[in-house]
Amino acid sequence: MAGGGGARKSRAVGPVPPTTTLVLDNGADTIKAGFVSDDGSDDKPRIIPNCLARDRHRKIYVGSELEKCKDFSEMAFRRPVEKGFIVNWEAQKEIWDREFFDDKASQKCNPSETRLILTEQPNSLPSLQTHCDQVVFEEYGFASYYRGVGPVFNAYRDIQSIFRTPQSTIDSPAEVILLIDTGYSHTTVTPILQGRPLHPAIRRLDVGGKLMTNYLTRLLSVRHFDMRNEPYIVNEMKEAVCYTSLDFKGDMEKTWKGTRGEKREDYLSGAGIAKDYVLPDSHTRFHGVVRDYEPGISARARKGNVSTEDVITLRNERFVVPELLFNPSDIGIRQPGIADLVKQSLLALPIGLWPGLLANIVVVGGNSLSEGFCQRLQTEILKRFPDECRVRVARPEDPITSTWLGAANFAKHEHASRLEVTKQEYEEHGAAWVARKFASGLGLDS
Amino acid sequence: MNNFGVIEVASQKTKNAPGWAYVPDTGLTPAAAAALQPLNRKRAARDKANVGAPDLTARQDAKIRKDLEALDRDSHRDAQIPIPPKAGGSRAQNKHTPNVRKILQSQKTFSNHLDDYHAFLALAESNPQLAAQVNKPTPTTTARNSPAPSTITTASTNKRSSAASKRAAVTAAAEAAAKEEKAGSSKRSKTQPQPKPADDDDDDDVEMTDAPETTEEFTGSDSSEPLPPRPDTSTPLDSATETTEPPKPQSYPPDGTILPAYARPPPVPHPGDDDPLLVSRVPPFPTDEELRTLMTAPPLSYTEARAQWTEEEEGRYPVRRFCEVCGYWGRVKCIKCGARVCALECLEAHREECLVRYGL
Repeated sequence: MAGGGGARKSRAVGPVPPTTTLVLDNGADTIKAGFVSDDGSDDKPRIIPNCLARDRHRKIYVGSELEKCKDFSEMAFRRPVEKGFIVNWEAQKEIWDREFFDDKASQKCNPSETRLILTEQPNSLPSLQTHCDQVVFEEYGFASYYRGVGPVFNAYRDIQSIFRTPQSTIDSPAEVILLIDTGYSHTTVTPILQGRPLHPAIRRLDVGGKLMTNYLTRLLSVRHFDMRNEPYIVNEMKEAVCYTSLDFKGDMEKTWKGTRGEKREDYLSGAGIAKDYVLPDSHTRFHGVVRDYEPGISARARKGNVSTEDVITLRNERFVVPELLFNPSDIGIRQPGIADLVKQSLLALPIGLWPGLLANIVVVGGNSLSEGFCQRLQTEILKRFPDECRVRVARPEDPITSTWLGAANFAKHEHASRLEVTKQEYEEHGAAWVARKFASGLGLDS
Repeated sequence: MNNFGVIEVASQKTKNAPGWAYVPDTGLTPAAAAALQPLNRKRAARDKANVGAPDLTARQDAKIRKDLEALDRDSHRDAQIPIPPKAGGSRAQNKHTPNVRKILQSQKTFSNHLDDYHAFLALAESNPQLAAQVNKPTPTTTARNSPAPSTITTASTNKRSSAASKRAAVTAAAEAAAKEEKAGSSKRSKTQPQPKPADDDDDDDVEMTDAPETTEEFTGSDSSEPLPPRPDTSTPLDSATETTEPPKPQSYPPDGTILPAYARPPPVPHPGDDDPLLVSRVPPFPTDEELRTLMTAPPLSYTEARAQWTEEEEGRYPVRRFCEVCGYWGRVKCIKCGARVCALECLEAHREECLVRYGL
């Protein structure tokens, strides 16, 4: 792996100052990890499941060992990250150890010669932040360290190329962006000005990938099979079939079965929305398969003629689930949807900043991969602001690793050296000082 | 007037004409209006019973809460997955520092930590000295470089209002700073009474209460008049940063130290540029002072950052209801339990479940 090469190189050069940086985007679902060294030669982050998993034979997989697992039925997970923050250090340390610090680790790194850049979600609890700092320095002993708000690192990417704006110079960090991060635990809106988050305007919606998977599980359990012990399979299904509806009412009509006695035409034909999902059977098939809906098949399966495979016909489940991001009130969550979240965030800012922020909305995080998400978000935001505001919503090609790539650019930026804290400084000033330094951020240039 | 000795006696009987009647105008608070002017006499009593809560019974409310908690959980059953023993065991006998040992052994969940944090904030408010003694990373430390540290300590139980008050305090501080800076300038008085007209407006136009006010506050420290009089108000403000007025069309935002002006050549002039109908309005740009406050403001706490509906927005749109069986619009209510279903077919499916749960 390229990262390992970087680490070896640094050892040859010498211990101080660290030339390699371990960049960790420690998400609730996956860790994005990779090395950045001064000599350029970029690599892609490795995506590691951030969990301890147990299959139905009670075999336990830690982190990337999950790749070896084939049969994902009745998988149970234990996650060290809760609500986006590292809570259970016992589990987290185990995963980190196996991935980075053990002798056989695939991304071997020697902390005393490495700088660590770690992302965290905005608005963390001080006690959790302190725990994190203490573990990093006292347990691992990294040479230097910066813990920064995850969304902010995206400002160090080439934002204008994401919008496909022709531009001669790349300003890093980007002057002004509004970053929407919709991940496993929650969705946050962060306005960023020159690489500094505007803290009073950061807003969070407690709807994320986990809640959507659980919701799909519930819908399926009520209507089809009991899937409550199959989080992995349902998650796979969600990623494969769910899409963001651009015409919710219309799609709803198309998927309704109609009143008793007279089935609707759209229902019988599927109307392009219904899809068949073949569940894995743990013998020949270990991953689900999406098929176009064929009216005949389900009828035959119901009669019991051909029942070698379990097929679920998904209709409104496909778009009702991502709809939660836009209308959390559909399941009784008393929070505004994502577009109103943007509005509430902007209301905390001077109007003069609105045009710039609205024209540079960047969406990252796994949920944004659902088809039609950006388009829907753009139309919803347009409705909420004056006509004269130009609204652009863009998603980088790699929304999941975007924060990592930004953090990698940040590692090479001079801001990193301004913000990092060395082990010596930690020992001298203590954890509280470090927390304060990270919280105060970059300050102002002048 | 001569009415030939006929005295008109007001009749004791009043008729309830079916058409219309004058009723007192009670303003626009929907609850009060509904109480005084029931749209439908028959249902007035029923509506009054649950003024506070929309048409949800306690049972339904509890069900929703339980459902949401279930959705928020990581797994259906709480998985107790132990950490597998390591083959090499090289790291196992490593000594941990006391701090790390404490952290590793902690079995606290996130909600435990959150409760601790709230308890700490409450303590900090009621008994600052004791809170300072608690040897714990204080949340107030983060506010060391903030413009108004006192506001952080007040951040407490009531998340919404404290967030608002904190934000208001931050702006107040910004305003104060701006005032100090331009104390000599007499023009300040022009912008100073500006918030007042906004308040007066509120009485007339209730739709616009909350939201515009906050933005007014933020922009209030500078040239945040409504758009038309922009040119004259922006001049005194820019005096702080010493902008020159003439090249204004080219330089947007006005030259500040934080956000540099737009440096590239302006777009090609168009003959319609001066047309009053086509002219584009540009909102006043925030001053350096404001931006500085924003960029150095301390992070909000976890609960403050959670987005919530304001009271005004809460009931603006009716909540969409879905059929509990098939997911289509919930157009029919089950008489027994109040669950929504779409039509007869689903209602029958629901009845079976309803019978099991609640009996006949």
